[in-house]
Amino acid sequence: MSGGFAQRAREALGNQQLHIALDRTTAQLVVRRAAGLASLEDADRVRDRARASKMQLLHTLADSLRAFEARLVENGARVHWAETAADANRIIVEIATKAGVRRVAKSKSMASEETHVNGAFERAGIGVVETDLGEYIVQLAGDRPSHIIMPIVHMTREQVGRVMAQRLAVPYSDDTQTLARYARAQLREEFLQADMGLTGANFGVVENGAICLVTNEGNARMVTTLPRVYVVLMGIEKLVPTMADLDRFLKLLARSATGQKLTAYTTLVRGPRRSGDDSGPDQMHVVLLDNGRSKILAGETAEILGCIRCGACLNACPVYRSVGGHAYGDVYPGPVGSIVTPGIRGLAPFAELPSASSLCGACREVCPVRLDIPRMLLALRHEAVEHTRQPAALRMGLKLFARVASRPRLYRAATAVVRRVLRSRARDGWIRRAPGMASGWTRFRDLKAPAAETFETAWRRRAAGRTS
Amino acid sequence: MSGARDAILGRVERAVRTGRIPSAPPHDRDEDGGTRADGDARRGAPDSARLQERFVLEARALGVETYVEPTAAAVCDRLRTLIAGLRVLAWNPDGLPYDCGSIVDGALLGSSPRADQARAEVGITACHGAIAETGSLALVAGPGCSPTVSLLPPFHVALVRPEDLHERFIDFVTARADALAQSSNCTFVTGPSRTADIELSLTIGVHGPGRVAIVIGP
Ligand code: SF4
Repeated sequence: MSGGFAQRAREALGNQQLHIALDRTTAQLVVRRAAGLASLEDADRVRDRARASKMQLLHTLADSLRAFEARLVENGARVHWAETAADANRIIVEIATKAGVRRVAKSKSMASEETHVNGAFERAGIGVVETDLGEYIVQLAGDRPSHIIMPIVHMTREQVGRVMAQRLAVPYSDDTQTLARYARAQLREEFLQADMGLTGANFGVVENGAICLVTNEGNARMVTTLPRVYVVLMGIEKLVPTMADLDRFLKLLARSATGQKLTAYTTLVRGPRRSGDDSGPDQMHVVLLDNGRSKILAGETAEILGCIRCGACLNACPVYRSVGGHAYGDVYPGPVGSIVTPGIRGLAPFAELPSASSLCGACREVCPVRLDIPRMLLALRHEAVEHTRQPAALRMGLKLFARVASRPRLYRAATAVVRRVLRSRARDGWIRRAPGMASGWTRFRDLKAPAAETFETAWRRRAAGRTS
Repeated sequence: MSGARDAILGRVERAVRTGRIPSAPPHDRDEDGGTRADGDARRGAPDSARLQERFVLEARALGVETYVEPTAAAVCDRLRTLIAGLRVLAWNPDGLPYDCGSIVDGALLGSSPRADQARAEVGITACHGAIAETGSLALVAGPGCSPTVSLLPPFHVALVRPEDLHERFIDFVTARADALAQSSNCTFVTGPSRTADIELSLTIGVHGPGRVAIVIGP
């Protein structure tokens, strides 16, 4: 990863392919979400109640985790607790090694991307394959996902076709049906060969210990059904209290993510196979991951732990739609990422992210859980400023401005000079590179050239015109 | 290991004291601890004809083929037509309604070798529930009811009885809580396997069946 957000954003803005790909999808997802929500009876009420149950859950998270753990154990699963990403990876690799696992099939999981478990498997000599179509292509291309639910939103079908042709030695095609057929054939073998399945969890139901997984492709069903060992890696915040809550969240998640009423496959896993079953894993493990979540819970952005990773705020965000997911520099992009990433990775290296927003509020508008993302972004900006001493030039500049602005004559004289200088630099009414203290502004945006006369003189002139 | 557990739970307990967690307005909380679903108060008992109509409508909208047959014999005929010439994988025959068990005599079962199951061309199941609101089938794993049957073949045929119908997800979950508690895996199938990962263009049949047919009997 090179440079900060600003540099990556600039690169992204110059990438024509990316624009084609982003344009083709985000706008459509916004429309589909709106239509999906419209098909939900009492949508506002459902969202209110979903939000209430998540917030209530966060207030009593420790007790809910204890209850959830007890239900998991009753269901026959083994529970592990991981404080950090490294701990989670160590635990998972240990489970695999003990069980003699040689191949792992993964269903899409944000938590495992967060911990970079693939690297840990590879270092231990264990093969791992992503089975979500988008993630699989990311893996083949040696790329990174750029959207929570649409990992290859940044790629065109032509690019996907080229990657598959190169890596799988199949004839090039840009027909999505053909490309999906290639993936089906390859991954079918992987499912049948894998000794271990690894998934995240969309939800964990406290009242009965069920792990709820949703996929449209069916890969989560494959990896929970075929391999003999099954591991869930989930954040400690992914709980919902009851099945009635789950019902609500499932309706909201599918609609907000893709506009569907329900995702094609919703699976509830309650432990390893029972006696008499023909399929299902012999052992099931659940790894509960903290990795900074308890720290987030203690601060101003605690609310973000109610996120159900639907991706709606990404699609709605004008910044995300212009620069794509990679510019955000970590696994969680978009408005939600600008809050989660500094939370789990520390604010200092990602201090720019909370400012990568115009605070237009589109994210809060579409969020099914009504998370107040703009408020949290502001809180993080505040924190970032408090922890970094502003440059001396800025502090002096502000002092100087205060002096000048409180002396009318001096102010008029000074603005006349500034106006002349800026206007001399303008082309077509816009300044692309401003001098001196104004240069900070034009690092990220153009500056409109000042008008020929100031508001003050224009006002005087008009007032004079009216009275005469 | 218990070190990590206690450390995490301790941090979480301390965190809620300082964290800015919005409080939930009481009227948004579930009056009864969350067991009641939305809009229950104004709901009457759903009549079965309307349920079936809704189920068929929703399933069709998902691209599922649906057949409503008046007699058990007609269900069997329909099934025979659908699977003619195909290599069959099925739930155990005694788990199939309308005496369809005899039709799948000699078929591959969930207990057959994996490699053989993977070569099947159609999977035949009944269901433990059918959700009218979303057009979903509820399939609960158990002896004779292997999830592989509805998953591995490219074509899935499900037999549905009118008494399997429930209006909503939560109605099914409540009515069949015992069956769910006894099973390690319950899957709701809502239409064929699909993806929109490449430029959002809808592509059917990625890992699961690309073709789903539902036969509803008397
Ligand atoms: S913050 Fe809200 S809109 Fe964004 S991904 Fe999370 S739940 Fe969806």
